[in-house]
Amino acid sequence: MTNTIKESKKSIVTARIVDHYEVARNHFLMSLKVPSYFQAAVPGQFVMMRVKGREDPFLPRPFSINFLNSHNTGTIMGILYKVIGKGTTIFSRLKKDDELSVMGPLGNGFNMPPDRKKIALVAGGVGVAPLSFLAEYLKRQTNASAQGIEEIVCFLGASTSQLLLDRGRLADACSKLMISTDDGSDGYHGTVTELFQNHIDSYTDNDSIVFCCGPDPMMTGVAGIVKKYSIPCQVSMEERMACGVGACLGCAVRVKSHGDRPRYMTVCKDGPVFDSKDIIWKQA
Amino acid sequence: MKSKNVPGMNVDIGGIELKNPVMTASGTFGYGEEYNPYIDINRLGAFIVKGLSREPRSGSPPPRIIETAAGMLNAVGLQNIGVDAFIKEKLPYLSGFDVAVITNIFGETIDDYIRVAERLNGVPGIAGLEVNISCPNVKKGGIAFGDDPETAYEVTRKVKNVTDLPIIVKLTPNVTDITRIARVVEEAGADAVSLINTLKGMAVNVETMKPYLNNITGGLSGPAIKPVALRMVWEVTREVSIPVIGIGGIMNAHDALEFLIVGATAIQIGTANFINPRATMDVLEGIQHYMVENGISDIHDLIGTLTVE
Repeated sequence: MTNTIKESKKSIVTARIVDHYEVARNHFLMSLKVPSYFQAAVPGQFVMMRVKGREDPFLPRPFSINFLNSHNTGTIMGILYKVIGKGTTIFSRLKKDDELSVMGPLGNGFNMPPDRKKIALVAGGVGVAPLSFLAEYLKRQTNASAQGIEEIVCFLGASTSQLLLDRGRLADACSKLMISTDDGSDGYHGTVTELFQNHIDSYTDNDSIVFCCGPDPMMTGVAGIVKKYSIPCQVSMEERMACGVGACLGCAVRVKSHGDRPRYMTVCKDGPVFDSKDIIWKQA
Repeated sequence: MKSKNVPGMNVDIGGIELKNPVMTASGTFGYGEEYNPYIDINRLGAFIVKGLSREPRSGSPPPRIIETAAGMLNAVGLQNIGVDAFIKEKLPYLSGFDVAVITNIFGETIDDYIRVAERLNGVPGIAGLEVNISCPNVKKGGIAFGDDPETAYEVTRKVKNVTDLPIIVKLTPNVTDITRIARVVEEAGADAVSLINTLKGMAVNVETMKPYLNNITGGLSGPAIKPVALRMVWEVTREVSIPVIGIGGIMNAHDALEFLIVGATAIQIGTANFINPRATMDVLEGIQHYMVENGISDIHDLIGTLTVE
């Protein structure tokens, strides 16, 4: 007996850019027209993208989904990204109507346990990208099903006020938006990890959950805080990727293991969202 | 779906019957589940499983990969679930497909290779073994098994002695003369050779002055290595009489045809899968199309047709 394949196979789709602009210095928001099945994507999932017809950069690049909107003209997916290296530099030069090859949605997104009433979103820099999607998603769910969510507080940090991304969207979706900047140009003067630490008394292990995405030191810091207070926390991890589906094992992240042998999971297939307790943090 | 218009694609790799010459390269296609959503695995000529060792291996710490010009470096460190877990957890799934399953095996000592080969012998659902001799031999100071003719001979011979399965020996390009190693493993009883494995390379981050890979060096794959691979395959096909499987930077049917023309009986698609999960299917359809266009009714009329003036 062979594994007969009746369902249609997934494929890489061609997505046209409908809008693309620099939202803040070196940070871009790209809107792409995608097939309607992308609407099933959950916050925290990602896509692998390549410029169509270009051999260089060689590998596709992973981006988390920043929003999905459905209009009568189709489904629009937003990608919020920071220009870091060669790949993102080339992406940043793309114009409206240029085309990308998009594979996805991929990976496991954030998972909202039904017993949590208080939600903290902790976002650092461009790490806000999946969290604004999550905030709007949770708000919609709360409205629709009268789920027991009492509050969603977002702690949003950046190096400077101009780089506080998705501020408006978060202010709309969350009960409260707390701001921090490293240079003190807006909100709390310091890191978002410190800001979150200052409000940790609002959260308890039996009714709260934290969703976190940002640079490594920030996530390490948040993971350390929630561990101390036993508050559940989900983090969205990042690593260099090639395949995006768990085949190449390139995007390894070290997780706790029972034996002596180190244990790695893939960000693409096992993540990108992990329980912060499972990760072996570099300075934890 | 055979019809008069579909050219004959089946090839024989040292006793392994393949419905077509398109195989997945070890370590680039997981254990099947990863790409099943994207392609019909039943259409592949063969499925080469991620390299298996005696015991599970954790692999290297990250970063494990870095893109380079027209390719990538990887230092995954041969992470795998081990031969026993493969048989128990992964093989039943793969056996559900109508495809030749070839298990890639490796070890740190010759004894490791023997144990893995013994374990896989007689297990239903396995069509052959691909023996990766590119890994370091811990008993010889880390020199790769495939870097030394005597060791290459010994490991091939000993694996051959403990298995009833056809064995394909996968050769490393990191040698002075790959044809010499190919001849030696043929003599030792290899039923076929596959080449090339990745080329050893490195890349440095000038901002941090650190290597990009945790392992410092890694294996280079992708189109960057294709001309080297093609040259080596061409050289080896002229030196051995066993089938040669071409590997190295094959991204599309054109690349695959080059390997077939220089004499490869089959080809493996590796890194291309990461960029296009349908790469194997595109290559297969492209070869068929080429054959139809050029009136070639059997793949054997294409293999080794290189014309040198």
